[in-house]
Amino acid sequence: MQTATENRRWSKEYPELGTGPVPAESCISPEYFELERERVFRRTWLNVGRVDDIPNAGDFFVRELAVCKTSILVIRGKDGVIRGFHNVCSHRSNKLVWEERGTCRGALACHFHSWGYNAQGQLTGVPDEENFHDIDKSKLGLTPVTTDIWEGFIFVHLGAQPQETLTDYLGGVAEQFKGAAFHKRTRTHTYKVEENANWKVALDAQNEAYHLPFQHRYSFPGMFVLKDNRYLRLSGVKLYNHHAVWSTTYNSESTPTPTGALMNQLNTATTNSRLPMLGDFDFFVIFPNFVILQFRGIEDDYYMTYNFWPLAVDRCIWEIKFHFPPAETAGQRLSQEYLKHRICDVLQEDAVAHETLQAGLTSRAKTHLILQDDEIQIRQFHKVLEDYMGFFNGRGH
Amino acid sequence: MAEVPLPEPFQSLEPFRDWALATERERRAKRLSSSMEEIQAFYDALFPQLEAVVAYLDRFPLDQLPEEAQPLYHLTLSLVEVTSAVELYHHPHIFEAIEPARFRRVE
Ligand code: FES
Ligand SMILES: [Fe+2]
Repeated sequence: MQTATENRRWSKEYPELGTGPVPAESCISPEYFELERERVFRRTWLNVGRVDDIPNAGDFFVRELAVCKTSILVIRGKDGVIRGFHNVCSHRSNKLVWEERGTCRGALACHFHSWGYNAQGQLTGVPDEENFHDIDKSKLGLTPVTTDIWEGFIFVHLGAQPQETLTDYLGGVAEQFKGAAFHKRTRTHTYKVEENANWKVALDAQNEAYHLPFQHRYSFPGMFVLKDNRYLRLSGVKLYNHHAVWSTTYNSESTPTPTGALMNQLNTATTNSRLPMLGDFDFFVIFPNFVILQFRGIEDDYYMTYNFWPLAVDRCIWEIKFHFPPAETAGQRLSQEYLKHRICDVLQEDAVAHETLQAGLTSRAKTHLILQDDEIQIRQFHKVLEDYMGFFNGRGH
Repeated sequence: MAEVPLPEPFQSLEPFRDWALATERERRAKRLSSSMEEIQAFYDALFPQLEAVVAYLDRFPLDQLPEEAQPLYHLTLSLVEVTSAVELYHHPHIFEAIEPARFRRVE
């Protein structure tokens, strides 16, 4: 394969990114983290879920956005419209909904004085209303959060006025996925790992294939070492306005384990709608903290998502979701459980690295990250980040 | 509650009935608390019959598995749970992984 033999190919394609080392300070500086809250997480579109999470009128979920110091309620109204609100009562700002998800039947009642809201966020009930001074219930609904939907993914924007619509923000990524049948795949498994790592350390560690033959030598022995591509060079890299995708091809030389071979035969669930893939495996980073991973399957493709939620400069939550074509038989489900199981082993290895990387960075023994050509997507991520932050080149440092 | 016996052709799996666990959490805990000998014995009993077991289960739609097929299905899920331990690690645990309890299945 051409990819494997041509050295430093991507930096020739994207010369504007340079080739120098990248400062590591962004992953360990508390000052940087405080600025990130405003300059990144209130200025970008954040994925908080999918429409499939709340299929029926009144269904809701709550997202604790610690990085923006708020809790968000996303709810499907009686009119079928999905809306986002600050999860805060209009009376004296109590946290309104405490459950992670549920269905609003009638009204959502505040735990403090039981003000009630309907699924459209309107204030519908105030106990002892007559004793208040001229309150207008129609003006006291929940505070809306800018919310939009792209291919079934729900995004919120916490800035006062988004500079770009969601579609403009997604740019070429929106083009790439136009009409992708994500909705035909079902979310089957969701995991959360709370990590002692900066959210970017965790994301950067996932955002390359260079480590696969080495760090995952136990969970996928030999799998990533190809005769004509020993170091698993990428088959594709595409950099967008804020986002990036890289791809790899599968190793056709590798022999499956006995269980793997049988599972390949059982893996027949299909939606009859392939995903728009660039390689056999695509890793789309949607800035700042959302990832879509597409996998070429035998009969059909499946996908995963990651969300990296910052908690503190050195803590984050890594949220992992699997989406497969609906399984109709035990054999189909079993083959999906098998894929999930193998991938989860890899991710449990990854989580260790996130924390050992953070520990190393925190020691300040090194000031910079050294990146090779197949890590150009990490380079671009830090460039996009710096464009928002203006930390190293001036603004407020 | 009396246990429904495993379907006729698969009664040799009765001694491994304690692997018929309905949730991923239980299956993972079972792997992590079992010795490699126990895991290997379970694998050796079920794997040679796995194709036949699945063929039996696949006569029903997944959401309409009859009661006597449920434990059999759960056994196959446990097999998937131990497959890497047997075929790759030769050890119940992954070598360089975070504590399993920290990798939380939430839904
Ligand atoms: S704060 Fe919610 S009803 Fe008083
Ligand atoms: Fe990894």
